[in-house]
Amino acid sequence: MTRGIEDLVSADATLVSRRAFTDEAVYKIEKERIFGRAWLYLAHESELKASGDFVTTYMGETPVIVARGPDGRINASVNSCTHRGVAVCHVERGHASRFICPYHNWTFGMDGRLLAIPQQGKIERPVDKARLGLRQVPRVESYAGLIFGSFDPDVAPLEQYLGNMRFYLDNYFARFADGVEVVGAPHKWRLAANWKLPVENQLGDVGHGPFLHGAVLGGRDAIAEIEAYGFNMVPEPGHGAAIRLLPPETPLASRMWGSENGSASAFSAETQAFLLDTQRQMEDRLGSVHARIKGLTYGVYPNFSFLWANSTIRVSHPRGPGKVEYWSWWVVPAGAPESVKRELQGVYNGFFGPGGLLEQEDSDAWAQQYAGSAIDYMDDHPYYYGLGAGEEEVHPLLPGVAGSCYNEHYARQFYLRWQRDIAEGAAR
Amino acid sequence: MEQQHAIEQFYYREARMLDDRRFLAWLELLTEDVRYVIPTRHIRLGHLPARGGDEFHLVERELGGAEEAALREDRLPLLTIRAKRALAPNAWAENPPARTRRFITNVEIEDDDACAGEVRVLSNFMLSYSRHGADNHLYSGQRQDRLRRSEDGFRIAERRIVLDWNVVTAPTLALFF
Ligand code: FES
Ligand SMILES: [Fe+2]
Repeated sequence: MTRGIEDLVSADATLVSRRAFTDEAVYKIEKERIFGRAWLYLAHESELKASGDFVTTYMGETPVIVARGPDGRINASVNSCTHRGVAVCHVERGHASRFICPYHNWTFGMDGRLLAIPQQGKIERPVDKARLGLRQVPRVESYAGLIFGSFDPDVAPLEQYLGNMRFYLDNYFARFADGVEVVGAPHKWRLAANWKLPVENQLGDVGHGPFLHGAVLGGRDAIAEIEAYGFNMVPEPGHGAAIRLLPPETPLASRMWGSENGSASAFSAETQAFLLDTQRQMEDRLGSVHARIKGLTYGVYPNFSFLWANSTIRVSHPRGPGKVEYWSWWVVPAGAPESVKRELQGVYNGFFGPGGLLEQEDSDAWAQQYAGSAIDYMDDHPYYYGLGAGEEEVHPLLPGVAGSCYNEHYARQFYLRWQRDIAEGAAR
Repeated sequence: MEQQHAIEQFYYREARMLDDRRFLAWLELLTEDVRYVIPTRHIRLGHLPARGGDEFHLVERELGGAEEAALREDRLPLLTIRAKRALAPNAWAENPPARTRRFITNVEIEDDDACAGEVRVLSNFMLSYSRHGADNHLYSGQRQDRLRRSEDGFRIAERRIVLDWNVVTAPTLALFF
């Protein structure tokens, strides 16, 4: 029996249909109802320091330009000329005073306003330029330097949408006295996978670490630490934060950011001093609970992820049900000396990105999962998401609902929210 | 001429070693201080002050600088982990392994520094990658090498790989190019 679109996730979300990953009709509804409505990550404020700075990205499959306009405000415009649709910007980032469409050279400002129609002097009837600016993304808001946009003018304010997730974002993004900055352009690669799988992986699937990555991580102390102190937090349904809450007596050097797998001792004295000092300052500022938290992986519904230890922001851009363009940015403490930043680089690109030691294994697993989802005669064999079902509880110190590091409630809550969004779309 | 021939032969042997998955033998071709880098490549605006000149669309400006996180930035320890890992039964991304074929062309000696015992060589590569049935991909790019002479032939002291992609459309860059 083929399930209806409103029926792809079981009531307790312990079962999710394979079609959630492969069905063209589902994908169309996802674009309308999820990517057309939700808050989607656009860029980091550090990438747009001056008026005229811009980056290009996507909201779902829709190309957008995110720019700091002449008035200093950050705006997002759909990258498609209002005359005949040609993209007005063909590069990935830069600094400009205007965008000139190649076809007939209509010229747009950094806030999307139509500045000039070269043909206008040759015709008689005036054209109302005010109505022909680039389509604006109606809502653009930031939290802790992270800029999000939504196509839904009525979407809840970003802070409310993030809810308890802010606590976990603060743990990293408010950790450094001088804030963080994104360095360079993102790594971008395409995979034959559904966009939800990379998201699900980083919402809280730390349980795959010792297994999929056994050839790299096998036997490391880190696994024991995760099993002993790890929590899968669901701050709000759809968002996730996998973290460790270390015992209060843990020494400063073991609870600081940068101390994964004893790696801190491999750093220069300068870098170690920087990390210790950063941790001390952070604990003064953010308090005793944050002092004990070491993050792992985060997710903001629907497709933003963050790896705490490896300092990388990622977005899973859908390209059809069976393709994803994965983007991955490297983040650093803005105030760190250059030599310290250089040393921290390997913590990111040694393990993550398209050439990363770990990510090569994840990328392959995601593609293989899509192949498995797409095979025939399997409609009656949904995926099992029931690990730890019913074992989650409220934690006295950590906002949201807590589960052990192998509890799959982060995914159950994600798919319940997803099913709700999809079903409403189907009904309309 | 002789030098050119010797370097080409070195590259062909190296390519065959990698295609034959003799990764541990390949490690022997590296110097202790080897740098192995794949910078990012991005679509940027042309450099306006240089418009009309060859500098306007300089390839080098599309490549991520040292302060940016490269796609790969490996030294010997990481290259050794990669080589050994690829031969482990639980290296799931490489067991079963990809079937690869490397084509090395346009070998050009850029600079021969006899005093330092180093040669700078440019070459182009195509790498055909096939895995999981019909999952086939073609990589192309340039290699900018610094080769160091040793008693028993050349060693790779530096390899910088300039890919032709901004969005990587193959499933992995965790390969030896
Ligand atoms: S399509 Fe852009 S100016 Fe005509
Ligand atoms: Fe992983």
